[in-house]
Amino acid sequence: MKVLVPVKRVADYNIKVRPKSDGSGVELANVKMSMNPFDEIAVEEAVRLKEAGVATEVVAVSCGSAACQETLRTALAMGADRAILVETDVELQSLAVAKLVKVVAEKEGAQLVICGKQAIDDDANQTAQMLAALLDWGQATYASKVVVADGNVEVTREVDGGLETVRLALPAVVSADLRLNEPRYATLPNIMKAKKKPLDTLKAAEFGVDVSPRVQTLSVYTPPERKGGIKVGSVAELVQKLKDEARVL
Amino acid sequence: MDFNLSSEQKMLVETVRRFVENEMLPLEDEIEETGRLAPEKARALFEKSSANGMYAMNIPEEFGGGGLSAVDTMLVEEQFGHAKDILIRRAFGNVYEVLLKCDAAQRERWLVPAVRGERTCSIAITEPNAGSDAASIKTRAVADGKGGWKITGGKHFISDGEFSDFFVVSAVTDPNAGAKGISLFLVDKGTPGFIIGRDQKMMGLTGTSHVELAFDEVPVGPENLLGGEGQGFKLILETLGRVRLAQVCARAVGKSVRLLNLMISYAQERKQFGKPIGDFQLIQQMIADSVVEINASRLLVLDAANDIDNGVDARDKISMAKFYVAEVLGRVADRAVQVYGGMGYCADLPIERMYRDARIYRIFDGTSEIHRTVVARSAMKHGEALYGTI
Repeated sequence: MKVLVPVKRVADYNIKVRPKSDGSGVELANVKMSMNPFDEIAVEEAVRLKEAGVATEVVAVSCGSAACQETLRTALAMGADRAILVETDVELQSLAVAKLVKVVAEKEGAQLVICGKQAIDDDANQTAQMLAALLDWGQATYASKVVVADGNVEVTREVDGGLETVRLALPAVVSADLRLNEPRYATLPNIMKAKKKPLDTLKAAEFGVDVSPRVQTLSVYTPPERKGGIKVGSVAELVQKLKDEARVL
Repeated sequence: MDFNLSSEQKMLVETVRRFVENEMLPLEDEIEETGRLAPEKARALFEKSSANGMYAMNIPEEFGGGGLSAVDTMLVEEQFGHAKDILIRRAFGNVYEVLLKCDAAQRERWLVPAVRGERTCSIAITEPNAGSDAASIKTRAVADGKGGWKITGGKHFISDGEFSDFFVVSAVTDPNAGAKGISLFLVDKGTPGFIIGRDQKMMGLTGTSHVELAFDEVPVGPENLLGGEGQGFKLILETLGRVRLAQVCARAVGKSVRLLNLMISYAQERKQFGKPIGDFQLIQQMIADSVVEINASRLLVLDAANDIDNGVDARDKISMAKFYVAEVLGRVADRAVQVYGGMGYCADLPIERMYRDARIYRIFDGTSEIHRTVVARSAMKHGEALYGTI
């Protein structure tokens, strides 16, 4: 069974992001970039499936600029066998990524795609779902446990009321939640080997899919700083302030 | 000339940093409070790091190490430097390159177990009357007439000596030959007449022991002699430079980086007179000076390491790095205390202990004064070759 893991290059979770001065987006110049943490969990799960003898090959795929190679090398250092960069300088939104990954999944004959449930930059949480719909495969999102057996994948999902377990026939798309596993440190030998593992670059423009943005960003700005609260002397004063100052009544 | 890190180097640095932050820094408060790293925690740390191939990364692969170049070693050593000395020793191993001088039989007994983390080694050169002047040691190795020696004398400030299983000991084999009469011996703990003395408490470096050693006619054979009779001083000069660059210089850069990170975040958070203190120019000067000095420090370290990788004698450059980087650490630590004010002086935060830890960097592995002397003498001898591009 071949497992495909899409990985996204995002601003590192440790840095404080700030909007660009013109409000057109988040400032990414001179910012430390890393693999989306949920995607790391997805890579870890795929590598564990390989180590358990369930998966035969783990392929990482990233869509974006040439800089995404770095993210793919990280996936290789964690234990992925191969990597594919779908290169484009166009801004890619969830639907575009889903379309591109669909092509790769079909070409590769992947039986299972494990995605991070969302990327920490746009928090869209929709690529896995869109991908499953485009492929017409089953989907299990927010996975906290994944068991593959007899052509099925049994996924424990973190839902509002607790845990839900679903069984899907393969091929399927799974999205990884925070508690699925704790990603490993890349080992020194694997870091050194990562460069020798194959990393193929494909041109997104040659995929024949429309990747143009569907959503337009109007402006990005820092939320207003929260002001300190005040103490009120009576209920009457509270109601008056809610009416006249906060204007919520 | 490419100053960019390769993707491997970036991954290496990021992985080590993550390990240091997740696995090591959380242990520091307890070490500071109890004065020791609990053995079971040391063990767990070692097991986790060695499972990731992070132990003895500086030693060639053929002996089981990580096989990093000198430049790569400095990059990871800088990250090690964020943590306390004792944690670095247990997690990553201070496997000294001088052990690479072991012959085939010695390798099996001392080098390979040290690389595997089964045995730990301390370097025992310093004596009460022989610090920077390492050639003036008094410890004697007297030939026993049967091809071996008996070592008599004393050492002090031997780092990690309580924990170590064996020691690289310098001793005079020929008192008439000066520096050429010094030899190095591999001496196991437990050898008759070899006594590990008291732990000499230090201003900082909490958790790392620094012990006195006493030798009373300690018998050693030819199998204990490292690198040939009379070769000791030469070996020390040849191999300890790289150790100095890694364990002192690169780690000092890491410590400065950690301090500056703390300084910057506090300067942005702490408000006085209605605004963050980072808005005040006197604070900004401290930040700006630290940024530039840290970057200059790292370039000195990597430049020296690059010479080592190219087989060029890097001793002068290591001396330059040694005193500059150590003094930068001292200044950055001092500024960090100043920016934090009372909180910097308070032991609740790591600044206070890092300030104490920083002080030794200008002293151990050759004082600033010694290294300045080396650089000045070399400059007068070689001129522009030492600081120009022609």
